[in-house]
Amino acid sequence: MIVLSVESSCDETSVAISKDGKHVLSNVVLSQISLHQAFGGVVPEIASREHVKGITVVFEQAIKEAQLHVDDIDLIAVTKGPGLIGSLLVGINAAKAFAFAHHIPLIGVHHIAGHIYANQVNDEMVFPLVALVVSGGHTELILMKDHYQFEKLGETQDDAVGEAYDKIARILHLGYPGGPVIDQMAQTGNPTYPMPSINPTGTYDFSYSGLKSHVINTVNTHKMKKEPIQTHNMAASFQQAAVKHLIEQSKKAVTDTGANMFIVAGGVAANQSLRRAVFETFKDIKVTVPAFTYCTDNAAMIGIAGYYQYQQSKKHDDLSLNGASRMDLSSI
Amino acid sequence: MKTSLKRLVVDSATDWLYVGIFEGDKALITHYEQGKNNHSATLMPTVEKLFKEVNLDVIHIDELIVGIGPGSYTGVRIGVVVMKMFAWTLNKPLYTVSSLALLASSFTSNGLVMPSIDARRGNAFLGIYDKEGQQLTLRHAEKHMALKDALNDYPKAHHVTQGEPSLPVILHSNVLVKVDDVHLVAPVYLRQTEAERNLS
Repeated sequence: MIVLSVESSCDETSVAISKDGKHVLSNVVLSQISLHQAFGGVVPEIASREHVKGITVVFEQAIKEAQLHVDDIDLIAVTKGPGLIGSLLVGINAAKAFAFAHHIPLIGVHHIAGHIYANQVNDEMVFPLVALVVSGGHTELILMKDHYQFEKLGETQDDAVGEAYDKIARILHLGYPGGPVIDQMAQTGNPTYPMPSINPTGTYDFSYSGLKSHVINTVNTHKMKKEPIQTHNMAASFQQAAVKHLIEQSKKAVTDTGANMFIVAGGVAANQSLRRAVFETFKDIKVTVPAFTYCTDNAAMIGIAGYYQYQQSKKHDDLSLNGASRMDLSSI
Repeated sequence: MKTSLKRLVVDSATDWLYVGIFEGDKALITHYEQGKNNHSATLMPTVEKLFKEVNLDVIHIDELIVGIGPGSYTGVRIGVVVMKMFAWTLNKPLYTVSSLALLASSFTSNGLVMPSIDARRGNAFLGIYDKEGQQLTLRHAEKHMALKDALNDYPKAHHVTQGEPSLPVILHSNVLVKVDDVHLVAPVYLRQTEAERNLS
C-alpha cells in the first residue's frame, strides 16, 4: 500500500511517500526555522502564510523523488492535530483537494501517533511498549498494548521539556530553537550549578516550570551581582536535571507496565544526553530512538502511522475532516 | 473567452462561502452561504456536493477562478490552497480575482461601489469600484483602513458588505489575473503580520 502523507502542524511543510508503513520512498521537508529565528519562536501567522507558499512545491518534489505516478497512491494521510490551527488547515485542505481530485481515500492522523510510529522505520514494535514523547509542545508517557492503541500514562503539568529548553536558551542569549544549542554546549560543560529535584504530583507526570524558573532566577541573580554565567556549565546542569526527570518517570512507567519495549519520540529525541541515558537505563528490553531525520516534524512518520491506523480501523475520513489545535491521543 | 468553458469559482475570504460551477458565464450551480468560522470543514464537502449535483468531475473543469483576498487570513487561505492544489495537480489554468471585486460584482445597479470586508477593531479591507453595466473598474486601490474614515471619504459610494458574486460581471471586467506559476500563488493579505510590524 502506497501512502502519500502531509504534515504542516507547526513550521515545517512536509510531504512524504511511504510503502506498507515501513519503506520511506520520499520525505520532503521545507523548514521555516530561519524565518522565525528573528522572532525568537514560531509566529503562527507567518507559519500559515509560508505553508501556503510551499505546499504544492513540496507535493511535487515528494512525488518526483518517489518516482511514481499519482495513480499508484492508495491512501492520503494528513496531520489533523494537535498543532497550530492555521498551519494545520493548510495541509489538511491541500490533502483534501488532492484526495478529491484523484479519488483517493483520506485519513486524518494524530501528530503524536506520527512521532511514535517514526520508530517503526528502524525497528518493529513489540507490545506492550512505553513511548516517551518529548518535543517543544509535548512531554508524555504513552502505553501501547497493540498497534494503534494509545493509553496516556502521564504528561507535563506545565511546560513541555522542549519549551523549557527554548526559554532557557533565550535567557542565555543562545537563539532559537534552544534544544540543539543547549545540548551541544552541555557536551563540553560540567554540571556545576545545583538544580532542584523535581517531584510532580501525578505518578507518571512531568513538571518543568520549577526547573526553568530556577535557571532563570540563577541567571538573573548573577546578572544583578555582575557575575558571569558559565554558559556551558549552566547548559550541562540544566540538561542533566531535565534528562534525569525524563528517565526517572520513564523507568517507573516501564517497570509498572511490564513493557517489552521503550520508544522515544519527538524533537527532543535528538538530544544526545537523552539518547545515551535511555540506552544505559533500559538494558533488558528493546529500545529505539528515531533516526535524527525522523525526530523533528516530517510527513513520513504521518504516513507510517496512517498506514497502521488504516489497517486497524479500515475507516477513512470524509471531506469535512478538520484540524484541531488540541486533540487527545487516547481518544483516537 | 470561449463560452463553453467550464469554470469553478471559489471565494472563502469573507464569512460567506462562495462556490460556483459555470459553463461559459452561465451558472450550472452556485452556493453562497454564511459560515460559522468553519470554511475549512465546509469548502471541500460543498465542492463535492455541487459537482455531484451537476454530474461533473473536477477533471472536467477548464478554468479555475479563486478569490485571492484581502479578507480573513485563515478563511482566504482555505480557498486559495484548494484551488492552488487543483490547478497544480490537474494542470488547469488558474485565475485570481480580488475578493473585494467579487463582492463589488454583486452590486446590481450602476455607480460607485465600496465593497468592504471586516478586519476587526473598526478596520476593514476595502476598495472603490465604478460599476457601469456589466463592467467594474477599480477607482482607488484596495487598502486596510478604519471603516469610519472610508465612509467619510467616499460618502457617495454604495457600501457593500455581502452579496453573491456575479461571474458575468467579473468576466466582463479587467479584474482577473492569470497565474503563470501556480507554485507561487499566495493570498493578498494587504497587511504584514503583527510580529513583522512590531519588528520593523
